[in-house]
Amino acid sequence: MAIAFAAEWRIVLKDAGVLIFFIALPIAYPIVYTLVYNPEVLEKMPVVVVDNSRTAESRDLVRKIGATPAIEIYDYVPSLQEAKHLVDANEVFGILEISSDYAKEIGRGETGHVTFYCDMALMLRFRTFAFSLTEVQIAEIGSITADRISMLGAESLYTGMPVNSESYMLGDPQQGFASFVMPGIVVLILQQSMVLGAVMIMGTARQRRRRNHGFDPLMPVNSPAYAIVWGKALCYTIFYITPALFALHFIPSIFNLPHVGSAVQYLLFALPFLLASAFFGITLGAVARDRESAFMLIVITSVVFLFLSGLTWPRYAMPDAWQIVGDFIPATWAVEGFIQINSNNAVLSDVITNYYWLWGLAAAYSILGALSEKWLRVSHGV
Amino acid sequence: MGKTFAPLWKSLGRGIRALVSRPEYVVALIVVPLVAVWFFDSLLSRGVTTRVPVAIVDLDQSEMSRAITRNLDVQQVLDITAKCESYEAAIDLVRQGKIFGFFTIPDNFEQDVFAGNNPTLNFYSNLTYFVPGTYSYKGFKAIAVATASSVIRDMAVSRGVPESVLEPLVQPVSLQINQINNPWANYAYYLGPSFTYGTLQLMILLLTIFSITMEIKDGTSPQWLRTGGNSILVSLTGKLLPQTVIFTIVGWAVMAVQFGFNHYPMNGSLAIMLIAMALTVVACQSLGVFYASLLPNPRLALSLGALTGILAFSLAGFSFPVQNMYGGIAIFSYILPVRYLFLTYIGVALNGVDPYYVRYDLIALVLFIPVGLSMVWNLKRMCKHPVYIP
Repeated sequence: MAIAFAAEWRIVLKDAGVLIFFIALPIAYPIVYTLVYNPEVLEKMPVVVVDNSRTAESRDLVRKIGATPAIEIYDYVPSLQEAKHLVDANEVFGILEISSDYAKEIGRGETGHVTFYCDMALMLRFRTFAFSLTEVQIAEIGSITADRISMLGAESLYTGMPVNSESYMLGDPQQGFASFVMPGIVVLILQQSMVLGAVMIMGTARQRRRRNHGFDPLMPVNSPAYAIVWGKALCYTIFYITPALFALHFIPSIFNLPHVGSAVQYLLFALPFLLASAFFGITLGAVARDRESAFMLIVITSVVFLFLSGLTWPRYAMPDAWQIVGDFIPATWAVEGFIQINSNNAVLSDVITNYYWLWGLAAAYSILGALSEKWLRVSHGV
Repeated sequence: MGKTFAPLWKSLGRGIRALVSRPEYVVALIVVPLVAVWFFDSLLSRGVTTRVPVAIVDLDQSEMSRAITRNLDVQQVLDITAKCESYEAAIDLVRQGKIFGFFTIPDNFEQDVFAGNNPTLNFYSNLTYFVPGTYSYKGFKAIAVATASSVIRDMAVSRGVPESVLEPLVQPVSLQINQINNPWANYAYYLGPSFTYGTLQLMILLLTIFSITMEIKDGTSPQWLRTGGNSILVSLTGKLLPQTVIFTIVGWAVMAVQFGFNHYPMNGSLAIMLIAMALTVVACQSLGVFYASLLPNPRLALSLGALTGILAFSLAGFSFPVQNMYGGIAIFSYILPVRYLFLTYIGVALNGVDPYYVRYDLIALVLFIPVGLSMVWNLKRMCKHPVYIP
């Protein structure tokens, strides 16, 4: 095993392609991704107003809506038809229509009607509009209702609204996009870059085997299969201490992403994850016939594993079959566990299920990896 | 005439034969795109109807607090899976990933309401998961507001305020949000097409680069060039046209599944969508040719292709809008063919706009062709004297 470890270490250090996967990828990708999402929240989304009321009240409402960080009043137009053209041309992402009786209705103690037509080209925009408009609406209701209650004559019990409410956003108080997505993405990048590198190493070894009568001259010939895969996996795991520290610790610190968890907790947690990823990569490596096969067969799995992890689409909303498939991907457990530790200050005992699963997967894939190494030898007739 | 086209026919024959020579080709051309459309569509099949698991922390245990709990549970988006004794117990469940939010009713809530002490309902949403976090917030907020309204209503009724003024009293401003063309705010409408199109783009990029640069790796590129009558354009056509045809058919099959069987919105011209798909295939191939010409080495060109293809899922602005990205980052979204296909989908299929509004997107796709061909002289040079760097 020690010989295999040393041999693998030399292979990694001498292979520029593998070094790109093992070093450049886990360093560059998190930075690029964070830069993509780092504006965090949507601001100043243009909205066009169709004000059929044209009163002080309606202008006041528009002013309040325009004052929210998310929304910027683009222009006033006289008709819904014209507003629609602006939406079609992507000039604005929403239309605020105020009914002609708005001020009258508010003044008479009735309900004033406002309609917001939301362009649904992107979910995040809709979400942000809905949050902002609801806040304005609730504030308006609060102040008008309080006025009306006091006008009911009877000395009211209440000043303002009788029941207040306060919302708290756990893990991502600013509701930023990078803050939400990055803690999960960095974990996925660690797994995928390691798998890509492992598969490239195995594909290259296959080419060597074809040239050398089935033997890989760079690896010890007489070692048992399990010793080879353990040597390889330990090599990758130890190699990944630095990239893991960078991705799990420095990326959140540098970019001011949520990072409240204790380092001891998530580094302990990362250990079975790195080991499981290494064995997982070695197992998948059996499919690689060439050095370049990693690109054709593995790159696309990043997207699949991202989905299975539940980061974009919650796991509980998936069909059971896909949840089960996801259970067998190390990143699924690691993404969830790391997010809880990193963003919600969970400790190892909170995510103990994930932790045990990762050790279990490491064990399972170490056996599968050894089997795939055996299969490679048999299929090359040695 | 027959003679003039002989190199082209020969190259095409060579290109077609190559496609069955390695399993990678079949996987990239057919298996991955079709499995992807099945994967994404079945993954998203439950849609937004699934309720978010949340908890209630009821410290009051009064008639009013139990009514609030019942109201929460009948909310369309919420599923109360746990009742907790304390804030700490609830936050532990959040940390264990068992719930995505909780709603707290403070001690003495009912008494405080009747005493006019304006008590506060606190609710917590786990925003480390955007979709469930958002839905739990939505459900909690609705109930918090409804609770305030019902208290006012009861108070007013007990004071003999006429029924007709009740509604405007608690709802003086009605703000109706009309979600144009996606009234149920179905997230799958975005995730499904964007990820299947992105998968197609990635596989086209990789396969184009793989099939060209493997000639250099295997040292067969001089022969490839000769088959095409020493014209790099004829050789490329012979190699890539069969792939264009298969990818286009696969792309149309993907659209048939989505618009036909899965009823994704199709409010405009299907013909435009099919044309856009064919143009996207060619645009992605052109980008692949460009990369292979720039770096005629399989590993480096494939790295660049993989980088582009994977980052496209984020950069193309399917989830976070390009308009809100940093300028220096946002410009890269314009070199991604899939962005224009997605914009056409949103415009034509979802919003049903006149094709006039997506004209620039279609033109952009066509412009990838000259860009793709601009560096082929370098590819030709390398093909004559192939050097493989591992």
